[in-house]
Amino acid sequence: MIPNGPGSPAAGTELELRWRSSRHARRLLTLGLTGLFIAILARRPEFAGLAAPALLLLAAGRARRRPPRITVRAKPTTRRVFEGERLAVDVAADDADEGSVRWRLHPGPEVAPVGATAADGRQARFVVTPERWGRRQIGTLEVTLRDRWRLAEGHATMTLPGLDCYPAPAAQRTTVVLRRLPNRLGEHPARTSGEGIEFSGVREYVPGDRQRSINWAASTRRGRLQVNTFAAERSQDVVLLLDSTSDVGQPGSSALDLALRGAGAAARAYLEARDRVGVITYQWGGASWLAPALGRRQVYRIIDSMLASDAGYSRGASFARLPRAALPPGALVVVFSPLLDQRFVEALRDMRERGFSMLVVDVLNTEPPARRRTEDRLARRLWRMEQDAIRFSLRELGVPVVHWDGEEPLDLPLAAHTRRPMAARR
Amino acid sequence: MRAVAGAVGMRAAAVLLGAGCLIWAALPAVHRGYATFVLAVTIAAVAAGGLRLALATVPVPDETYWPSPGVRAWRAFLDVMRQVPWEEGAVIGIAWLEVLHPSRPWHTAVLGAGLIAYLLVVHLAESDARLATLRPQARVLGLGAVVLALGAGAGMLPAAGPGAGSALLRLVAAGALIAAAGLVLPYVARDV
Repeated sequence: MIPNGPGSPAAGTELELRWRSSRHARRLLTLGLTGLFIAILARRPEFAGLAAPALLLLAAGRARRRPPRITVRAKPTTRRVFEGERLAVDVAADDADEGSVRWRLHPGPEVAPVGATAADGRQARFVVTPERWGRRQIGTLEVTLRDRWRLAEGHATMTLPGLDCYPAPAAQRTTVVLRRLPNRLGEHPARTSGEGIEFSGVREYVPGDRQRSINWAASTRRGRLQVNTFAAERSQDVVLLLDSTSDVGQPGSSALDLALRGAGAAARAYLEARDRVGVITYQWGGASWLAPALGRRQVYRIIDSMLASDAGYSRGASFARLPRAALPPGALVVVFSPLLDQRFVEALRDMRERGFSMLVVDVLNTEPPARRRTEDRLARRLWRMEQDAIRFSLRELGVPVVHWDGEEPLDLPLAAHTRRPMAARR
Repeated sequence: MRAVAGAVGMRAAAVLLGAGCLIWAALPAVHRGYATFVLAVTIAAVAAGGLRLALATVPVPDETYWPSPGVRAWRAFLDVMRQVPWEEGAVIGIAWLEVLHPSRPWHTAVLGAGLIAYLLVVHLAESDARLATLRPQARVLGLGAVVLALGAGAGMLPAAGPGAGSALLRLVAAGALIAAAGLVLPYVARDV
């Protein structure tokens, strides 16, 4: 669970109670009225006696004081969770000195309750788990305050606070590193020599070299002082490009789900390697972006930026108009896309032609349904050929395309590109 | 485990009380005033009331865009079970079966006690409350029992004379009794 800072008491919300007779009271009223009705019609006083206990109970219960409002405090244990994680909502009622309180939780869309959704008492705890990433509503809380005799019920409904559900990140440990790295201190060994820790060669001593870097064995062999040289350590800019124009497949393992999980994993892996990571979310009508930056917080900024793409249509800038800060020259662009949108594919080609080093993670794991009709089979075959052609054309441009099924760690499909630095072909 | 046993016991008690009241009111069998039809409806109402209590904790299936016919039928069944006032129907039916018999005041008084117990137990079962919840109402229930007994007593009084006026007089007496009970109610219903 993502920490939310020190806990603070939840502010109370005053809710107006709508009082009405309980089901119990209605049943008693039925018994009382039936008894009286029969007593009068049949002129049999024993039926008036039969009605008496029910009527007396109703009369006595009616005389009781009913509070017009109730103060409810509801506080989730956290406001940010990953998919499948649990969070608890603590609820408490003030001003409910008389009577009993019953709580009923109506979970919001894509939020599943864990355990009971109804509880009695002035305080209660409900546990829920969001099933899918996105900005979600935990749900609504129905509060029922019963008077002491349980003959009347005061009802109120409260909307629980919202929740940011982050996609459960996939597993990725290795990173793709460019062969040509910008001149910035980092952790990836570069081709130039510098002050790193990875041995790169031996050269002749020149005045000013550190004495501790003298390679005595080589010096003895050659008869002149030799020093060890080390590879410089550099960092790179990584831009995660997320295609949220097409969301196909089963909810929970759709293309967008995999793209978000993969991008989350990549953001973590590259930020742990001290790279600057940014994100561009391509959606209908344009793109939203977050400039590359360092640090652990950037993971959450990136995921927050990606979650905003869940809002659907938004008008933004096109790729051509993206500022230099969003897409720094020489950056490694890791694309997560099902490659279904032709305009997105065109945008990738355009970026490649502008010299960006790119790697496409294909997250398409579904196909048109298989049907018996010849036309359907033909359409399916054409669709497959078109998809193959798109991937082939990208490979021809020097853009590696790897397929990820969402189950295996991302390291496996990326293995061919993480073993050695990736050349930035022009 | 104890709570589950208590809940099951309360539901079983509700069904048994309902069935007991029904048998008490229906016997001996009469064959007028749609007795057979009312008996069948009341049996169905008592059984459905018991089923409603048994299904009270069964969750309604989640909303989906295209629920299967089975899910739709199950949801409709649960809706009907939970929305229809089965116990009210059972009470009316039982009272109707009782009124079909000739006047038997002590029998009606026992039935009244049984019916009020039935409704209270149904309430406890559906709200998963304990018997102690009724403690604040004990005095009022006691007063109700007294009025019930006095009502039965009024029914057993011999008629002062032939004709409708005598029966009406007894009815007025019973009504006055209930009114008197209502007057002392605020003193009896004071919280313990």
